[in-house]
Amino acid sequence: MSGKIIAILMGCTLLSTAVQAKEHPGKEKILKDGYQGPKTCEKCHPGKAAEFLKTVHWKHASKVDHVDNINPNEEYGMKNRIYTMCNGNDIVNNLKEVPPNALGKTKFTGCNTCHPGDHTSDVGSTGPQAEQAIDCLICHSTKYDFSKRKPVKDSNGKVVMTQDRSTEAAANVGRPTIKNCMVCHEAAGGGAMIKRGFSMAKDAEVHVTKGIICIDCHQVKNHKFPTGRDPNNWAHDGIYMTCVGECHSVKPHSDADYNRHTAKIACQTCHIPKTGGAFSKDFTKWEKQSNGFYEPSTLKREVNETAPVYAWYNLTVSNTPKFIGPKGSRTDGKSKIYPFKIFQGKAYFNKKNGQLLSMDFAPPIANGDSLAGVASAAKILGIKDYEPVPGWQTIYFGSNHQVAPKNKALICANCHALNGVLNFKELGYSPKEAEKLTNPELYFEKLLKLQQENE
Amino acid sequence: MKKIVSVVMLLAVMVVSTVAFVQTASAEEVKMVGTISKIEMAADGKSATAILKDSKTEESVTIIVSDELTLDKFKDKRIVEGDEIRCKFDKADGKNSSKMFKKTAGC
Repeated sequence: MSGKIIAILMGCTLLSTAVQAKEHPGKEKILKDGYQGPKTCEKCHPGKAAEFLKTVHWKHASKVDHVDNINPNEEYGMKNRIYTMCNGNDIVNNLKEVPPNALGKTKFTGCNTCHPGDHTSDVGSTGPQAEQAIDCLICHSTKYDFSKRKPVKDSNGKVVMTQDRSTEAAANVGRPTIKNCMVCHEAAGGGAMIKRGFSMAKDAEVHVTKGIICIDCHQVKNHKFPTGRDPNNWAHDGIYMTCVGECHSVKPHSDADYNRHTAKIACQTCHIPKTGGAFSKDFTKWEKQSNGFYEPSTLKREVNETAPVYAWYNLTVSNTPKFIGPKGSRTDGKSKIYPFKIFQGKAYFNKKNGQLLSMDFAPPIANGDSLAGVASAAKILGIKDYEPVPGWQTIYFGSNHQVAPKNKALICANCHALNGVLNFKELGYSPKEAEKLTNPELYFEKLLKLQQENE
Repeated sequence: MKKIVSVVMLLAVMVVSTVAFVQTASAEEVKMVGTISKIEMAADGKSATAILKDSKTEESVTIIVSDELTLDKFKDKRIVEGDEIRCKFDKADGKNSSKMFKKTAGC
């Protein structure tokens, strides 16, 4: 391990100790005056509420310039996208109470349940009312009482999202912890660890084991979050991040052979050998649950049970009704081999134009009628001319979290043995090249030496 | 005498091992969806007892939770009474030890 990494880790440890030990300035004043929402925060952080309204966390969308077949002047994100992991979006699945099921039960559901507003000021809203509706504490407080954040109907029958605006929560603010992030990010796609299928527990992610938290890598500037380049994560705050930077150099290994690989192999390929979560869903077939509600039928695995697929990726995205995934090739000079979680989802397509249709989940949750969900979504979106036909879509999700400890990373034979994880022919290599790339001559001596050292 | 003691000791070890193996082998894994009717944290905070009403049978099932992540969710009320849970637990010796304890809800 390089001295620089040790220094950073020590810095993280010291910083986290200091953060834990140091109280947020102004705590006494908050305890004395109480918390009145964002206007209390703005006394010391003027302009931050208005700033936050311009971010992806509030807008759930941004302009996107790396994806095929979309309008570069429009904004895309979970606000309006349609794909088969989440066959709805914030518009068609706006937080609402579903109709009673056969047992007379009802519940609230909606894609924008995680939006950090109060639902009256919702996704993409602007102005002073929206600024005061921001739930600053859900991200910043370590004492947030999550039972206080729930959808309820107000006296006019409108669904609103309540918040914990207690003095205790406000008096314990600071940098967002892993828990603050994962409250929303682990529940996407229909339940815990379903969509992306990674865990940020200490025993699952080597960075977390070492005391590093989400925002140590996603270094936020003015509430704008740097993101990676997941082909299915389109909205962004205009800042991208990679492993290479403060922590890891372009030649991060002590072994020159490994370092030579970094020109064509992404770090994630060797260091994230497993993923998990849902790998297939069928939105045309909803299964009745024991509570009388229905859920889309879903095939899923635990967080560490799925082997990724590997493909060349030049950080631009192929987007068609049947496929969302990486573009790139061995020869374009821009691509590297990345790992992906492959997902296949079945939903309804419009026979008249081939486009994927979205679904309002409220009807099928109540009675399993998926076509009623399509009809409701079409009505919300003003689509009149459609004929739903079932079909499948394939999506490649970036595998960018749950970095394994060094001793679990892929080594030479994991790729270069005949039964290795890389399919060289699929990756564009000729049979002769593939034969050369799977010749034990490439790795035998190195692995033998390693084996002898470990015996 | 020494030999007899050794044989007795060996037999004792074998019996204990067999009993332990049988107990482990007899643990039955159960999957269930249910609504939490009660959560009670242990005084030391290292475990909790959750009572779930099985959605299928309506029976109350008591589950012992000891993983740190779920306990943390109890503490800050990310999981509360009334939440619907999908869980897996080992049933052995009259005790149900949680292996997975997740809210069914997601966006």
